Amino acid sequence: MHVTNAESKKRVLLMGDEAIARGALEAGVNFCTGYPGNPASEIIDTLAKAAEKFGVYVEWSVNEIVALEAAGAAAASGLRALTAMKNLGADVCSDFLMTVNLSGTKGGFVLVTGDDPLAHSTTTELDTRNYARLADIPLLEPATVQEAKDMTKFAFDFSEELGLICMLRMVTRLSHSRGVVTLGPVQTQKKTAEFSSQEMWTSGSSSITCMLHSVLHEKMRNAESKFEESEFNKYVGREDAEFLIMTSGTGWLYSLEAVKLLNLQNDVGILKLGTTWPLPTKLLTTHLKHAKEVLFIEETDPFLEQNVKIAAAELLVDGIAPVKFYGQKSNHVRGEFGAGTGELSVDTVVKALMGIRKIEYSPRKSCYAEKVQETVGSYLPPRSMSFCAGCPHRASFWSIYKAIKWHGQEVIVAGDIGCYSLGLLPTGFSVEKTLHCMGAGLGVANGFGNMKRFGLDKPVIAVAGDSTFYHACLPALINAKWNKANISFVILDNNTTAMTGHQPHPGTGVNALGDSSPRVHIEDICKSIVSDVRVVDPFELQNATQNVYEMIQTEGLKVLILRHECPLNEPRGWQEKPAVYVDQEKCVGDECGCVRFCSRVFKCPGMTWDYVKRKARIDESICTRCRLCADICPQGAIKVEETT
Amino acid sequence: MVKGKGAVIVEACGLSEGNCYDFCPRTRLDVPALDQFVFGSQRKDVALGSNISVMKARTVDSEIGGVAQYGGVVSALVAYALDVGKIDAAVLAKSEDRISGEPTVARNRKEVLECVGSTYLACPTVSKVWEVTKREKGRFCVVGTPCQITAIRKMQSSPNVRTSLKSQEDKVSLLIGLFCTWALSPDVYSLISETVGGARVLKVDVPPPPANIFVVHTEDKVFEIPLDKVRRFIVPSCNVCFDMTNEFSDISVGAVEGEKGWNTVIVRTNTGQELLQAAHDAGFLEVRPLEPERLNHLCEASLTRKRRVLAEKDSEKVSYLLTTDEDKSRIIGEQEAH
Repeated sequence: MHVTNAESKKRVLLMGDEAIARGALEAGVNFCTGYPGNPASEIIDTLAKAAEKFGVYVEWSVNEIVALEAAGAAAASGLRALTAMKNLGADVCSDFLMTVNLSGTKGGFVLVTGDDPLAHSTTTELDTRNYARLADIPLLEPATVQEAKDMTKFAFDFSEELGLICMLRMVTRLSHSRGVVTLGPVQTQKKTAEFSSQEMWTSGSSSITCMLHSVLHEKMRNAESKFEESEFNKYVGREDAEFLIMTSGTGWLYSLEAVKLLNLQNDVGILKLGTTWPLPTKLLTTHLKHAKEVLFIEETDPFLEQNVKIAAAELLVDGIAPVKFYGQKSNHVRGEFGAGTGELSVDTVVKALMGIRKIEYSPRKSCYAEKVQETVGSYLPPRSMSFCAGCPHRASFWSIYKAIKWHGQEVIVAGDIGCYSLGLLPTGFSVEKTLHCMGAGLGVANGFGNMKRFGLDKPVIAVAGDSTFYHACLPALINAKWNKANISFVILDNNTTAMTGHQPHPGTGVNALGDSSPRVHIEDICKSIVSDVRVVDPFELQNATQNVYEMIQTEGLKVLILRHECPLNEPRGWQEKPAVYVDQEKCVGDECGCVRFCSRVFKCPGMTWDYVKRKARIDESICTRCRLCADICPQGAIKVEETT
Repeated sequence: MVKGKGAVIVEACGLSEGNCYDFCPRTRLDVPALDQFVFGSQRKDVALGSNISVMKARTVDSEIGGVAQYGGVVSALVAYALDVGKIDAAVLAKSEDRISGEPTVARNRKEVLECVGSTYLACPTVSKVWEVTKREKGRFCVVGTPCQITAIRKMQSSPNVRTSLKSQEDKVSLLIGLFCTWALSPDVYSLISETVGGARVLKVDVPPPPANIFVVHTEDKVFEIPLDKVRRFIVPSCNVCFDMTNEFSDISVGAVEGEKGWNTVIVRTNTGQELLQAAHDAGFLEVRPLEPERLNHLCEASLTRKRRVLAEKDSEKVSYLLTTDEDKSRIIGEQEAH
């Protein structure tokens, strides 16, 4: 692995998240925490692999606020600490962030957030840069994989120098892109943590808070002056260009490419900002002086756009001529779903420049799209997201679905965050009706389960995964008990944090390094709160269905743990199990009186169709031999190989 | 099947005539076609359906006789068939409370004895048959109510159904039918608990007419509930049932009116005939002719039910039933046929 093995000055190919990890190692990071979430998961995953070699402490924490608090304590004790999380994680830890900005740090303290424009694997397009402004802490936005590494290293030094946590904002395209990175040396000097009883580490209250707030402002003035000279801000183009693109993050490379495609190098200057909060006002002034028009290119929110406009308004006093601004507000920078949504691309910049500068440009012949459609259109059917072959969630949702049908009346199913969020889609029989953030399933169920007095008298099922349970469900579970909410809480325990790449959690018995650690059993926790706690294997379909059915028949708070290990936990482990196959003599194909129940309803990707024989067939390359299809085939045509 | 709810369509297939439609005893039931499939001929007896003989019988096995509801013939036939290896397993209804039954698979005499006695709520026997024949090879016997036996016959006659249900060797090879007048909805539990309080129910019985009572035995007492109070809980589908004596079974068994400890037996197929004969020869059963007045009474009871169904004003409810005009006029016109 390049991150841990490569020597200094070597040029290697790294993924954005790996570059962050490498940057932290080059900065001599001591204490790393995080909670998995796309696109940031690989940062802690990578650091965990380097932990032993470089003597770094790395943990997957139970959630993001605990992660930031633990790392904060390390930083307050003089260590260098990093916390990594996805954008929604910043929400979770924001409570602490809004106070630790005031209490400050001794060691370098870096918060890395991974935003997900276009919400590839997230339930929001939240732009976490706003947190940097809200907390008033320095913000860095890498534009390349190299910068991801270099900025991380810088962020530690800078944080230590200011005595203030620094934030680094990544986005999916950068986190998961690979680029060539020139490595620096890894710092391995030993550090001692010290937190003396003489010290106070607090954001205080009343006058102390106000005083610390003032200190924070001073730190940020200091930060701004340092940012004026930062090597992460750069300008390309004619010194007196009247048309300026201001950009940050991924927008930098897109802008360079778009300007080149449109052959505008002589007309358009590009100011690339790597330090976007606080903004380097003097640098901005320098370039606003020669610009008559400015186009903002940035991922998601008009963060630069708004802050530069404020800065420009102040500069008017200094005689800077009025500038015409283009961006999201003017609707020139917009994605498929409108301005401020979706992901940036070269096309976004090209279209914006074409609109503003009235340029005609066509990268390909107009008939291209038609020819593509003609040539490959029929080979690319749209496909809905689906549970993997052998996924226990398919069985769990079938049981819930069936129990609701048995019940015969409406049931509200509140979903949560994990692979099982797909319970909203046909692969989960569209059972889930709500989906927000970690823990929100049980949280909203507290409301749905307490509205009988207002006429909403339907059984409520809240669904949460095992990792989500530890992360965010305990307060809601306690609240449900305390306030007598009627909820059937179904915990889908597959013994891993599957969606983000199979990270361990408190129930798995191992920590981030793969070392053995005490298990925290879900049922033990639940039993201390709820009297009716059941544990069932979802592959025992009838039993699981019966239990869900019984639970929704009765009022009160009940817990059903549907426990079956994710088959991907043990790659190829299923090969030990007897094979499952379709007895094509028995399969009645199109004549099946249930219209191909196996593939139509169950939609397991392992269940395919033999177009020659017109019978069902199992794709052995992905079948995990879970036997579920053998249970549900009305004809008994799906067989499990007999073993001796 | 959901306890207390009957059948539920979990995932609508979009077919107007899919498996559910094909198998359900309350969808299109072509009586002449099913007669032809099961018996190879049309029925001559419109009152009792195709049959070879009608008699009365009782078990001579004291172990069975001691716990049987009536004559213990069903348990004796199943136990015998298992004993001699005619069948490998039987799908029966087992009851914890003598009111509702859970389907179960009996593989030996002991397990058969655990299922002795009547139940009064519909039991999802067919789903158990479906499940067990899918997983296991062997010869199966099913004991069921008329609607259950009809469903299995419909499955067996369906062109698409898997062969494991077909009535051949190594499949569902023996169907023992129970006489049935109705099943109750689980709501009846409220009436029973109102009547007996918290006492444990040991046995429930509906003695043949003219008793007109629903009898509940507890440890200390026997409660008699007027049958009219119980009739309120009859499953609506039973009101349009045409078949009291289980007309598509191999052999049908019911109570004998006015004579405790005996069963009425209608032998319908050669399979039923051979089984009864063999069980008798092996000393499992005692068989006697059914008295003509009792036979007449049975036929009249069956015809009365059929007439009531044919006279159903809401024709939609009985539109499932396809029978010949000739049979219909015979049912309506036939008086004291036997």
